[in-house]
Amino acid sequence: MARNPIKDQVAIVGVGSTGFRRDAGGRSSASLACEASIAAIRDAGLGADDIDGITVAAEPGSPNPPRLASMLGIQRVSHFASAQPVAGFGLVDAMNAVFSGSCEAVLLCFAVMRSPWNSRSAARDPFRRTVGAGVRPVPELVQGAAGYASWASRYIHEYGARREDFGYVAINSRTGAVGNPLAAIRTPIDMQDYLDARMIREPLSMLDMDLPVDGADAFVLTTAERARELRPDPVLIHAASVGLVDRNDEDQLLDLSRHGQHVVIEQLKAKSDLWLSDVDVYLPYDGFTIITLNWIENAGWCEPGGAGRFLESHWDAAGNRVLIDGRVPMNPHGGSLSEGATRASGHIREAVVQLRGTAGERQVPDASVALVTAGGFFFNSQGAIFRRG
Amino acid sequence: MPPDVEITEAELVERFPYVRMDHDTKHLYRGWLARELRLNRCRDCGFWHHPPKPVCPRCWSSAVEPTPVSGRGSVHLLTWLHQGPPAPDVDYAAGPHPVASVELAEQAGLRFTTTVVDCPRERLEIGLAVELHWIERFGAPFPVFRPAEG
Repeated sequence: MARNPIKDQVAIVGVGSTGFRRDAGGRSSASLACEASIAAIRDAGLGADDIDGITVAAEPGSPNPPRLASMLGIQRVSHFASAQPVAGFGLVDAMNAVFSGSCEAVLLCFAVMRSPWNSRSAARDPFRRTVGAGVRPVPELVQGAAGYASWASRYIHEYGARREDFGYVAINSRTGAVGNPLAAIRTPIDMQDYLDARMIREPLSMLDMDLPVDGADAFVLTTAERARELRPDPVLIHAASVGLVDRNDEDQLLDLSRHGQHVVIEQLKAKSDLWLSDVDVYLPYDGFTIITLNWIENAGWCEPGGAGRFLESHWDAAGNRVLIDGRVPMNPHGGSLSEGATRASGHIREAVVQLRGTAGERQVPDASVALVTAGGFFFNSQGAIFRRG
Repeated sequence: MPPDVEITEAELVERFPYVRMDHDTKHLYRGWLARELRLNRCRDCGFWHHPPKPVCPRCWSSAVEPTPVSGRGSVHLLTWLHQGPPAPDVDYAAGPHPVASVELAEQAGLRFTTTVVDCPRERLEIGLAVELHWIERFGAPFPVFRPAEG
């Protein structure tokens, strides 16, 4: 076992979400961040004076920690940090801040907004035009989305993967969103819909990539000890890690057998008392379908190249979704593909909601362990195991 | 080797308005103006790397030197953009635009990403042998690949 003194020592005691929409209409990212943050602090049974740590994901347009403190009247802050996007970075920062004693209770906020580069309607919004402005790129950049499309074609080349393999991921996420009022798109899809979807960066289509949305999630983290005083259903962080390798430029990654996801899985397995057979809810990132296929393989649910067949053989046809071994759902909230591009704050929120037992019609019976594997291959791989406190 | 065009760094930045250039990457673009693809190679250990870094990631030597590559390689990664950033020579309406990461003959894993020209769609696939070629874009040379002769 690797050293993991933080195991089960920090808890999530508050959750708030605005829900995610294609267009939140006339609202700033700051407004969404405030709404989610206030909801999370109240959910924890706390007030502004109880919060002494603030971690915010550095999303385009999002308020930074000082601005959030100013907007919410948080008067005494002893830890604050901007975390790289994809939510595990913020989670790890916040938990470490609590565990180290830098602060007692952290507000962890994730606010996303559509940008002019990924949304035509956002490009028409004069208040968004300057967000993320800079050098205009040329088409020939294997970065971001094109990086995943490029490696998707390599995955198809190496393993003979079928388009349907990717389709199961998209269909499963959409089915989850149907049952989630916070989700942006809630109409179910089938394999034909997937195969007919408009190509964007071939081999990836509209339905292979997450949905630009407006919205925010927020959490409150504190010590496990304090958490038990605050509420009967705290959710403990059992293990969490981020992962990176040296060749992390998208087009220079040596191959799919060694990237950030592998580091994350090695870390989680070494730090955790719990692993796949203990997991009740699996929440793999689905910013692009190829990422999900790789997570399923790298987490060890199946062999490399086998994710499509795995999904097919664990497909619950009646439910139009994946149900691993007839028991474990995958992204029952709809994931980034259909709930919206929360950059994995939605995956963490769903872990908390399921472990509290408050997921409503999508509740997994007696869920006690959730595995989140978030981020992609290159510079934002991360994972966490949560357990019911 | 053709002589480098004598221009200032300010002029160099202006010649490539679509590039976020710095002191570590400027040599790459000076090479483009001479129609030469120069990737960083370590003078001490011989290791190539890209994109340009200030030190050799293998031996930490600062003696990294922009060095012309042969231009031979094969397509390692490939995506077809059905829509994307605009460029004067790219017409998405006419068909998807290929973006390829080419693994260069110099070293396993050394890749350069650009487009492939003069190649029918059905022929362009992962594994295709290609060679360096130059087009003009925004009034400056731009490196691309085309299928290798023979």
